[in-house]
Amino acid sequence: MMSADPWSRMTRAWADLGLGPKGLIVVALPLAILLSGIGALHLSGRAEAEAEARVRLTFAIQRDIHEVHALLAEAASGVRGYRLTGRRAFLEPYIKAEALLPTTLDRLRRTARDPEIRRRLARVDGLVVQKRDGLAQLAAMPGAGTATGVEAPAVTRALIANKTVLDALRAEIEAMQRREIQLLAERQARADAERRRTWTLTAVMAGVGLLGGLAAAQLLFTGIVRRVRSLEQDAERLEQGEPLSLADEAQDEIGRLARRLVQASDLLRSREAALREGEERYRRVIEGVRDYGIFALDLDGRVVTWNTGAERIKGWTADEILGKHFSTFYPAEARDETPARLLEAARRDGRVEDEGLRVRRDGGRFWANVVITALRDEDDTLTGFSKVTRDVTERRRAEEALGHARAEAERASRAKSDFLSRMSHELRTPLTAILGFNQLLGMDGETLTDDHRHAVDQIAKAGGHLLTMIDEVLDIARIEAGGHALALEALDPTPLLADVRNLIAPQAHAAGVEVRIENDTKVDVMGDRRAMVQILLNLLSNAIKYGPDGGTVTVSLVETSDRVRIEVMDEGPGVPAELVERLFVPFDRLDAERWSGTPGSGLGLALSRGLAQAQGGDVAYRPRDDRQGAVFALELPPSPTGKGNT
Amino acid sequence: MKIAPDDGGLKAARILAVDDEAANLSLVERAFRREGFQQIATFLDARDALSDFAARPPDLVLLDLMMPGVDGYELLESFRRLTSEADYLPILVLTADSTMNARLRALSLGANDVLLKPYDLAELLMRSWVLLDTRRRFRAVTFL
Repeated sequence: MMSADPWSRMTRAWADLGLGPKGLIVVALPLAILLSGIGALHLSGRAEAEAEARVRLTFAIQRDIHEVHALLAEAASGVRGYRLTGRRAFLEPYIKAEALLPTTLDRLRRTARDPEIRRRLARVDGLVVQKRDGLAQLAAMPGAGTATGVEAPAVTRALIANKTVLDALRAEIEAMQRREIQLLAERQARADAERRRTWTLTAVMAGVGLLGGLAAAQLLFTGIVRRVRSLEQDAERLEQGEPLSLADEAQDEIGRLARRLVQASDLLRSREAALREGEERYRRVIEGVRDYGIFALDLDGRVVTWNTGAERIKGWTADEILGKHFSTFYPAEARDETPARLLEAARRDGRVEDEGLRVRRDGGRFWANVVITALRDEDDTLTGFSKVTRDVTERRRAEEALGHARAEAERASRAKSDFLSRMSHELRTPLTAILGFNQLLGMDGETLTDDHRHAVDQIAKAGGHLLTMIDEVLDIARIEAGGHALALEALDPTPLLADVRNLIAPQAHAAGVEVRIENDTKVDVMGDRRAMVQILLNLLSNAIKYGPDGGTVTVSLVETSDRVRIEVMDEGPGVPAELVERLFVPFDRLDAERWSGTPGSGLGLALSRGLAQAQGGDVAYRPRDDRQGAVFALELPPSPTGKGNT
Repeated sequence: MKIAPDDGGLKAARILAVDDEAANLSLVERAFRREGFQQIATFLDARDALSDFAARPPDLVLLDLMMPGVDGYELLESFRRLTSEADYLPILVLTADSTMNARLRALSLGANDVLLKPYDLAELLMRSWVLLDTRRRFRAVTFL
């Protein structure tokens, strides 16, 4: 916040000033002092020179005044000499003065500045004119050369007058000279004062220049150097990860840089905190896992981290196990070989999984599933291994129990299968005699009465029925036991249906039934040829049996989204709706004999469905929609390769 | 009603039938006698059958595979051991075991044909006649 104190306001303003202006000020301040010093010295020198010039001028004026006086005096004595001797040679100074006086007086008038001198000069001008006139008059008077001492009265008067003028002149000149002497003294004093002032000024300027330099240096130091140093310390603290406090609030570049550093420090710290938090969370997750022993190994296989799961499974605490080699976990007989082999495999393949017995701290053994993964840094340098251990003893027990159960089930299944084939055998053996002797009886038909022949026929029919049933029971039992070996292959239904029609032809012919095959599809099915033929024969046989004599049985192929349906349609009475769900129940003949008068074992459809399901298909029923009749469909999956080799 | 044509020679053939079921033996004997065959030896006991086979080699053997005490397969192997390599002595296996495995095993051990019980008498007689006819032709060629 801004302080009301003007000094701090100034410091603050200075700090806020940009580095450019700051630099300008620091350089310009001593420079300005220097320049003004030079200016002042120059002015002072000029004043001094002026004072000296005045002194010189005074000397010149004095000389001129003196010259005027001398010229007049010499002219006067020349004129006097001429008056006494009459010789014109004495007039020479007078003539010289006549020539020089005007110029000298004119120079005096131009140069003299002092008002008193000028006043006296005006008077001197007048006196000089009088004197020159007097001398001219005297020189022109007759009687020159009569040096008797007795002068003519006119000459005497002229001489006296001249003398008076000369005296007045002399007095004026003397006054002027005195004045000039006074002026000289004044001017010399002034010139001396100017010289002293110049010297003092020089000294003062030197002092001020020094102070200005110091001030600039101070400004440089407080405004830039000290803060840059503080910035440098901040950068150092940033490097050390120490917190930075906001100290420099100035608005210039250094202040902004300092605040940027503080922001960077804050950002860095928050990132570090987030990173630490993430790592901490990660560590807690791993350490908290109870079901898996998760720990790290160094390159030599020594344990470097340990989690709760590892402690729970293996029994060692972290303090006890850290630094120990992981072969500690292996039973003595495997300790020398297995750990080294696993590490080698992990190093080579990146990962290795193993199952086997491991030892706990208390010496107990457990069955473990172990995954060792090589840990590599971003340069792909191996830094160690992670090891995840699960106690799978229970699972292994369960697997063993399951294995026993499976073996038991298989044994039971085999026993059942054995029993069934034995039963089939035991039933077939007496049937051989029954049907054989019955056939013998029939062969001697000519000796039998009609009643006897009828009885023989009934025995043959019932025996045949019994035989079919034995076969079907055995087939069902085999399917249930999974003993029916099916060879699934892609089959073209068309030739297969032709074969089935040939096989069923005798029965169809006997009933006067026409079997029609309609196939517009181009798809193969996945199925077992023998099983398919068996199912289709059963369905066709039923259709002929339950349909009217002289009717038509139609076989057609329908492709659905995931199945191929081979539909067998008859023209019989169909299946009463309430009986449909019992269609595929073994031995359930649905009172068929009662409502249709058709014999059967009640096993055919159950067998067909079982066989179809064993091929991944089904047998389904629906009533005909175009007329009365039943539709039984064999559904099979299509061949995944579409149309095969046909 | 006769099943097989009588060419005069075959009906004299000697037939050996082995079965643990007396009724079945009786059926076979009746069927063959009815057809005109005279020499039909039937055995309930495998050992008796084997000694008879060794003493008087038959022209055709009708053999049941599942019998108590002696395994029909063993008996089949024993018959084959007693048969000369150079001879053709047909063995027709009659079995109530409907599994493919049983048929294949019988054929691999030297059976010439297999019929599943209960069999049709006409089929039994026709197959027997075919086997006997083949034996007759074989012997005619090899002058046995």
